[in-house]
Order: sequence, then C-alpha cells, then structure tokens
Amino acid sequence: MDSAGKIINDIVNALINIGFFLLIIFVIWIRIKKQKGGGRLNFEDIFKSLSSVAKPPTDTKPPAVPQPPASDTVQSNTAKPGMELMALTGVFNKLLAPVPVAKLKKRQKYLQIALNSTLNEAREIIYKLPRSESILVEVGTPLIKIYGQKAIRDIKAISPAGTYIVADTKTADLADREVAMVAQAGAHAATCLGVAPIETIDVFIEECVKYSIDSMIDMMNVERPLMILKQLKKLPDVVILHRGVDESEFSKEKQIPYYQIQQIKGNFNISVSVAGGDTSREVQRAFFNNADIVVVWKDFYQSTSDTASLAQSFLNNIKTK
Amino acid sequence: MRLNKKLKYLQIAFNRSMPEVHQMINLLPASERIIIEAGTPFVKQYGQDGIASLKGWWDAKLQAGRRSYIVADLKCMDRGSTEVGAAASAGASAATCLGLAPIETIDEFIKKCQQSNIDSMIDMMNVEFPFEILPKLKKLPDIVVLHRGVDEGIRNREKQLPLHLIHRIKGTYNLVISLAGGETVKEVISSYFNDADVVVVWRPFYEEPQETSSLAQEFLKTIK
Repeated sequence: MDSAGKIINDIVNALINIGFFLLIIFVIWIRIKKQKGGGRLNFEDIFKSLSSVAKPPTDTKPPAVPQPPASDTVQSNTAKPGMELMALTGVFNKLLAPVPVAKLKKRQKYLQIALNSTLNEAREIIYKLPRSESILVEVGTPLIKIYGQKAIRDIKAISPAGTYIVADTKTADLADREVAMVAQAGAHAATCLGVAPIETIDVFIEECVKYSIDSMIDMMNVERPLMILKQLKKLPDVVILHRGVDESEFSKEKQIPYYQIQQIKGNFNISVSVAGGDTSREVQRAFFNNADIVVVWKDFYQSTSDTASLAQSFLNNIKTK
Repeated sequence: MRLNKKLKYLQIAFNRSMPEVHQMINLLPASERIIIEAGTPFVKQYGQDGIASLKGWWDAKLQAGRRSYIVADLKCMDRGSTEVGAAASAGASAATCLGLAPIETIDEFIKKCQQSNIDSMIDMMNVEFPFEILPKLKKLPDIVVLHRGVDEGIRNREKQLPLHLIHRIKGTYNLVISLAGGETVKEVISSYFNDADVVVVWRPFYEEPQETSSLAQEFLKTIK
C-alpha cells in the first residue's frame, strides 16, 4: 500500500507542477497581450517578457515604434549582456516572418532594383538590401542575354523567399516564346518594348495573362505612350516610362517624362513605373509625381552599399508618409 | 566586314531547344554561304553558352579551312556596349541592334562592334522610314536588316515584306542588306531577285528539321 501512496503522491506533484507551469505561461501571455495591445505574437516578445520577469522591471517598456526586422541584427551588435538571445530571436523572427505575397498592390509604392552587370555583383547587392515587400528585384537585359534563363533562376534562388522578380526581357518579337521561358524560370513579371509592333505587344499581354505573370510595357523611345495604349486589345498591368542609360549618358538634357505619369493614370487604371533615376532625389521626385514603381540601378562608379542605403532611405521615406 | 559583298547568303535563325538545334545544324549542307543565327529567344534562354555552342557545332560541321559566321540576334535597345562585348567573347561574328532604339544607343552599338571586331547589324523592324535613321548616325553600320516581325506576319496577313526599300537604301549607301520575315520559299527567292544580300529564314524549320537541309540545298543550287 505504501507504493500506491507514493504513486498518488507523485501524480499530485506532477499535476501541481503542470498547473504551475501553465500559470506561468498564462501570466506571460497576459503581459504580452497588454504590451502589444493584441496582434500576432512572436518569439522576440516572449523572450523579452521572460527576461523582464528575471530582471528588475525598469527596462520592460516596449519600444514605442515597432522596429523593422533589419534593425534587429544592428541591435544585437551592441554588446549588452543577454543580447545574444535577442540576436537569436531576430533570426527566428526572420525565419517566421510571413512570406510576402508576390503580386503588386495598387496604392503601394515600390522600389525596383535592377541588376545588370554580373551574377556575383547581383548576389552582393541582394545580400545588402533591406528585406521588404516594397522592394522588387529586376534581372536586367544584359544579365539575361549573357547567362540566359539561368540568370532568372539564380537571382530568384539568391533573393529572400517570396521576392517579386521582374525579368527585363525587352521583348520585341516572338513574345510567346519569351514569356513562356520567363514564366518557367519563375519570374513574376516580364517586359515588352513599347516600340515593338502592336501585334507583338498584344501577344505578349495575352501570354502574360495565360501564365499569370504581370505584363510591363517599356515605353523607351516612345514619344506618345498613350497612343500605344489606345491601340492595344488589352491593357498591360504596368507601363514603364523610360530614359535609357545610353541616352542619359550621351545627352544629358534628356529628362524623365514626369508629366506623362498623370497623363496615363488619368486615362487608364494601370500602375506606372519610372526608370532612369539613379539618385535619392530623383527617386523622391518620381514618387512625388505619383509613380507607383521607381527603377534604380547601380552605376559603375557607385558601390553596392550605396544601392542598399538608397533602398533603406526609400523604406524610411514611405513609412513616414 | 566579315561578309563577302559579292556573295548571297542564307541566314537561318534558330530558336528551339539546344538538342533540337544541334540536330538541325548537323543536317545542313556545309557551306560558308550559310549563316547561323542565335535567335533572340535562344539567346535569352541560353545566354553566352548558347552562342558558343552554336559556333562549336557549326565549326565542326564546316571543318577546317572554312570560316563560320554566327549572328547573335541581341536586338539591343539599351546598354549596347555590355551586350556586344558578351556576344563577341562568346564567338559571334555579328550582333543586331534595333533601329527603334535611341540614336545614342545605335551609335554606341556600332562603335562597340568595331572595337570588338564584329559586324554591326541594324534591325529595322517596325521602323517606318529606315532611310531616315541612317543619316542621323555618326557612322554607318555594316548591315541593315529589313524586317517583318513573326508576330506581325501571323497576326496581320496584309503586312508585306519591305522589298521596295532594298533599292532605295542600296542606291544611297554602300551597305549590305539583309531581309528577314519571309515565310515561304517564294518570298525567299523574290527577296534575292530584289537584290537582298542576305535572307533570314526561320519558319519552315519549325515544322520539320529535314526541311532545313532541303531548303538550304535548294538555295545553294538556285542562288549563285
């Protein structure tokens, strides 16, 4: 009978332990709920709350503004005791962060980073970019022509999961083949030249719909983009207003046609992308003129971190608006 | 200029997958008058590797002593210099640039082609008045391609090959004229009669690989 009593005692003890454990979890949960005012919980909050239970409650105040995920790692670099845990939670959060849906939203501003030189440099730039839904990655025409379909596959593999990939195919003919090739490689959008025959643009848009990727019409060297849009059977998803690299290098007076943004948006319900700016000021000016997407690229004289900081300042700007 | 101005050439554009293209090239009669083109979709799919493979296969077929001529149909629209350099280092003998591109791009393209020692081709697809582009250029290209796009040809049966332009351009400039977009044997032959130096074909080759060699052989026999 002694052993039976022992077993009962053990069971009671275990139940008390479990109850106590559940109580602690409940308390922590209530605390976090209070701090966050509802919403999704993540590892960081739980760890913060745990450390505040252990430490005196002076530093339990939650940050007033939610921190962007990129700053987690920056914080962890300051060598405070117990901060290693925070670094780990940062990693956990990155892993757990919801995968951004790869479809463009209207009314949202996007920055498109064009990658043009080599795959190695593309990798360098992508690693330095802040992670955000508002940043699109473009596989530039030279990369596609040098590495082929592999360029799109590789860049997609390097980029964080769910990144929106634009393949700058600049299609001029045989649209069905090129769209199929790009869609198979996993891109989310392809581009077609506005100067191409209308038949080609029509085929291009049809094929993009078929493969459910976004169609972008690049209006480089087109004097009146509206005239092209009016001739099409179906509208594209995005119109790109363009000042070419060669143009801007050899004749400085050519300007990005900002007034056309409103002209197009007033007539059609489509997104407008502006390509050809490479400074922070030009990017701001394009957004100020109501562009939805601004395409930027790294010039030969720039360093990769300049592109990354341009992207960061873009993210800060759209947050404050 | 790598082409002989006194000869007529047949340029065959390849846009299919690598193994199919390899098979087609093996069926062709070995002749220097046949030009192999890496089509735009082919270049965009396989990149430099694709161009280099085409050159390798055609070189092997021609054997020593004959020079192969490979066209990379880049259809440059911007950043001409990067793309031309890449094509040249992959072994191309000529590259194409769109006549629709900004004049600055075409100028840069021609300059870079000369530096890389390859022929420059300006593709006049969808350009209404090709002879209005030429005087604007700093330097003339080696070859002008008169073009009716494939999509145009399928969708819009009325669009005609711009045969009348061949003489207008040749009368003013000392250029080699290439004609692209013909889809039937009749169109190909009438292009040569209208004084085209190069005729680009692709259509019959989609259907049957065997037709490739028969058309090429017919060309070598009839057009001297």
